[in-house]
Order: sequence, then structure tokens, then C-alpha cells
Amino acid sequence: MVNINNLNFGYSKHKPLFKNMSMRLSNGHIYGLLGKNGAGKSSLLKNLAGLVYAQSGTLDVMGFNPAKRQPALLEQICFIPEEFYLPSVKIDAYLKANAPFYKNFDHSYFTDLIKEFDIPVGQKLINMSYGQKKKVIIAFGLATQAKLVIMDEPTNGLDIPSKAQFRKIMASAMTDERCIIISTHQVRDLDNLIDTVIMLDENDVALKASVEEITAKLTFKKVKEIDDSIIYAEPSLSGYNVVMPNYHQEESKLDMELLFNAILAEKIKFKPLFS
Amino acid sequence: MNNTFNINRFGLLLKRQWLDFGKIYLISLVVLLGIVVGFYSYNIPSPLKDNNFDYDGNLDMRFRYPLFLILGFVFISIVASIYFNILGQKSRAILELMTPASVFEKFLAGVVYTAIISLFSYLLIFYLTDLAFVKYLNGHLAAFRGLLQKNGAVREVETITYQVFNDEGYRKYCSYFFAFPFLITSIFLLGSVYFNRFHYIKTALSVMVFIGLASYLMVKFSRWVMEGKVPYHYGKSDNDLILWTILLITSIITIIVWAITYIRLKEKEV
Repeated sequence: MVNINNLNFGYSKHKPLFKNMSMRLSNGHIYGLLGKNGAGKSSLLKNLAGLVYAQSGTLDVMGFNPAKRQPALLEQICFIPEEFYLPSVKIDAYLKANAPFYKNFDHSYFTDLIKEFDIPVGQKLINMSYGQKKKVIIAFGLATQAKLVIMDEPTNGLDIPSKAQFRKIMASAMTDERCIIISTHQVRDLDNLIDTVIMLDENDVALKASVEEITAKLTFKKVKEIDDSIIYAEPSLSGYNVVMPNYHQEESKLDMELLFNAILAEKIKFKPLFS
Repeated sequence: MNNTFNINRFGLLLKRQWLDFGKIYLISLVVLLGIVVGFYSYNIPSPLKDNNFDYDGNLDMRFRYPLFLILGFVFISIVASIYFNILGQKSRAILELMTPASVFEKFLAGVVYTAIISLFSYLLIFYLTDLAFVKYLNGHLAAFRGLLQKNGAVREVETITYQVFNDEGYRKYCSYFFAFPFLITSIFLLGSVYFNRFHYIKTALSVMVFIGLASYLMVKFSRWVMEGKVPYHYGKSDNDLILWTILLITSIITIIVWAITYIRLKEKEV
């Protein structure tokens, strides 16, 4: 679905954001894109959508070069940005103007999603709250039946019930033909949703591994005392939350926040495990 | 699927752009109509005024020409400058660039709205207002009869359109300046893609700097070429040649500016 080869990108030539980044993303997966502020999560998503241009390297999205912004590719990409704009019209008018560009647009699915999100149909888009607007563009994006779904901080601005609805909808929207990439800081919102973690740090991919692979190689648990086998530990009320090698094939739940901090702090220790 | 141009997709794009651009465009048309009507109402001859006639004894409607030119320039340049200004706002630019239409179609929609629709609507509004006021004046010519100092009847007022289409000299002269409005819209359309903020001011400033620099260089160059030479005339007027050159140069520059706009649109990053 997506092939990134030796991608070099930066907003200024002296400050590269990605140096020779390579990665392959396949359909049938929900990728969680994590990274510190300024690590380049949004920039990577924009590269995939053709909104910015790489300095060198190649990007292949479904056989197209996204930089060419060809309609055949654009109708297969659903891009939900963090900041977005909706015109001062009602949902019907918005649909009438935009849906015909997507030949697979599913109107009944869109109506179902709008109902599920509890969006007031008669209201003008511009008068809706940020969260309601976000739900409208998520519903619209998913109804386009685009094969590549790119979401930048999709749960920002959503209330607690909406976050649960979002997770449910995203899980049901996943098909074997689709590739979903979600960038977020709020890792707990994506618990149980993503199947592969991509972590960006220091101009490159610091980690790309499936949840299965991570939990097979690492175990996340609470301990009272620290020993040498622990790769990373964070103090908690009742002891320590730790990440350690999964020597005994123990089953544990991936703690994405802990993993994120662990990778940033102990990148060298993790590299041999996931190389 | 044709990834460069598809007539159905282009039609959809024109419709979609209307959603964003249409409202502000219609408002600007209402404002335009108000300004034209206001100027006409204030300036048309009236039996209550003293100076109602020009040197030839016609009802004085000369205010129309500068009004037509100045207002026309302001209107079409503002409309062109608004069109792509959404690309300066990150949130709107993403939506615009991600719309499944080719860059060429997006560019062409811009040209249709700014160079064709805006120009046509300006001409239509001006024509209709002019026609209405001329009809009104011609219906009340008797009121001016006593005010005409020379003997004879007060002649009917002609609309600008009538004057242009029924006078060969006017017609010919105007045709040489055919490309000027397109040149203006192309420059301001480029400005709306090129600059992220204050599109109009920055474009106007850039044009002024460019014209100033070009004029300075041309004067320097012609002085250098002509230095020590004596003027020689064939005895035939060069007016036609100069006018043809104006038409050719403005047409070529318009096409070049449109081409640059297309490239800038293609290269636009968010």
C-alpha cells in the first residue's frame, strides 16, 4: 500500500526532519503513529498525502507518487487533519458538493455514522462545536471508502463517549483492503484499536512493530523492586511500572505510554530486539 | 481515469468552488451594483444642476469612462486576489488540495471564475446600470430643453456599449486592449497563490516595483541604443504597430503569468 524509500524531508535544508527514512505499510492494518512534539508525525502524514514534497527519496502510495496529486489517488485517500475547515453550509449541501468526487461514496453509511455520532443534521457546519465538526469529517472521510485513511490527532476535541464511539467505528471500518494510519499523542484513546506501532524519533523510525510482536518480546508489568533484567522503569504508587524482556512468554497488555517513554529513554537497548 | 482533465470532474469542481467562493462573490456583486448606481445617481445630469452639458452640447455623461475603468480594475483585481487566498490558511488549504481533482482543473476553475465570470458579470452589471440610467435620461429629455444654451434639441444619450459597437474607431481601439483585463486578473490570481497573507497589497506592491524597475531599464536601454542616432520617419504612422504590439505583449504576459500560477499551484505545500 505505502512504500517509503530513503525519504529525506525537512522544512529547511539545514534542519532535516527525516533522514533516509524507509518504511513499508500494508493494507489490513491500523497503524498508530507516535512521537514527541516536532518528531515529524504530521509531516510524515502530509508526505503520504502529497501535501508537502520530499527533498529526495521515493514515496509510493498505491502505485502513485502522492506529490503529483492525481485525482485517482486523491479519491483513495481520506485525510483527517488536526486543524480543518468546514464551510458555512448544512450537511446536505456539503455532501452534494463534495461526495460526487468519490465514486465509491456510501451515502447510507454516512447517514448511519452521522446518526451514531449524534450530529444535528439541520445545523450549519460552521455553527457546530469543534468535536461535532470533527465527527462530520470523520464520517465523511470513512464514507468515501478511501483505501488509505490518514488521521492526525482524530480524538482531539472528542468527548469521552465520542472517543469510545470513534474506536468502535474505526474498528468496524477496518477491512482487508484498507490501511489506516492514526497519529496521536493520546495513546490511551487508541488502546485496543491499533495493531502496529510506529514511533518516530531523531529523524527516523525508532520502532515499527505489531502489538503482537511487542508483547511477544516485551512484558509490561508492575513490580515492587527493580533488578538488572528491567529495561525501563517508571515509579508508580505501588512500586514501579516496568518494561522488560519477555523471557518466559508471559502474556501482558501493551502499555503504549510506557513503551513510548521507554523507547525514547533507552533506544539503544530496544534496537536489537526489533531490528 | 484521466488524471489531467475530465469534463465531469471539472463541472463538479466549479459547483464545489461556488460553495466557498459564491457567497462572497455574490456579496461583492451587490456592493459593485451599489457603487455603480451610487456614482450614476450622483453624477448624471439633472435639471437641478448647472453644468449638464459637455462642449458638444450633449448631456454630460463623461464620468462613466473613468468610473468604468477604475471600478473595473478594482473589482476584477479584488475577485482574482480572493480566489486562491484560502491556500494561505492551512486548514482550508488541506481541504482544497485534497479534493480529488487535478491541479490543472483547479487552476482552470480559478481562471473561469476570475477571468471569465468576474469580467462578464462586471460588464453585465455596468451595462444594465448604464442602460437603465440612459433610458431614464432619454425619457426625460424635455426637462433639459430650456437649459441648453445653443439652439436645437437635446440629443439622446447613448449607452457606452452602443458607442463602442457603433463606432469603428472606438471598436478598433478597444480591441487592442482586449487582453488587459485578463492580464490584471492573471497577475492578482498569481498573487493569491504566491502570498499567504495580504495578497492584494503584496501583489499591488510587487506590480508597482516590477513596473518601476522595467520602466527604468527600458529607458536606460533605449537611451543606450538611441545615443548619437537621428530619428527617421517613413512618413507613415506607427500607431497601429504600437497598438498591435500592446495587444501581443499583454496577451503573451497574461499566458506566462497563468503558466506561473499553474506551476505555483502545483508546487503549493501546506
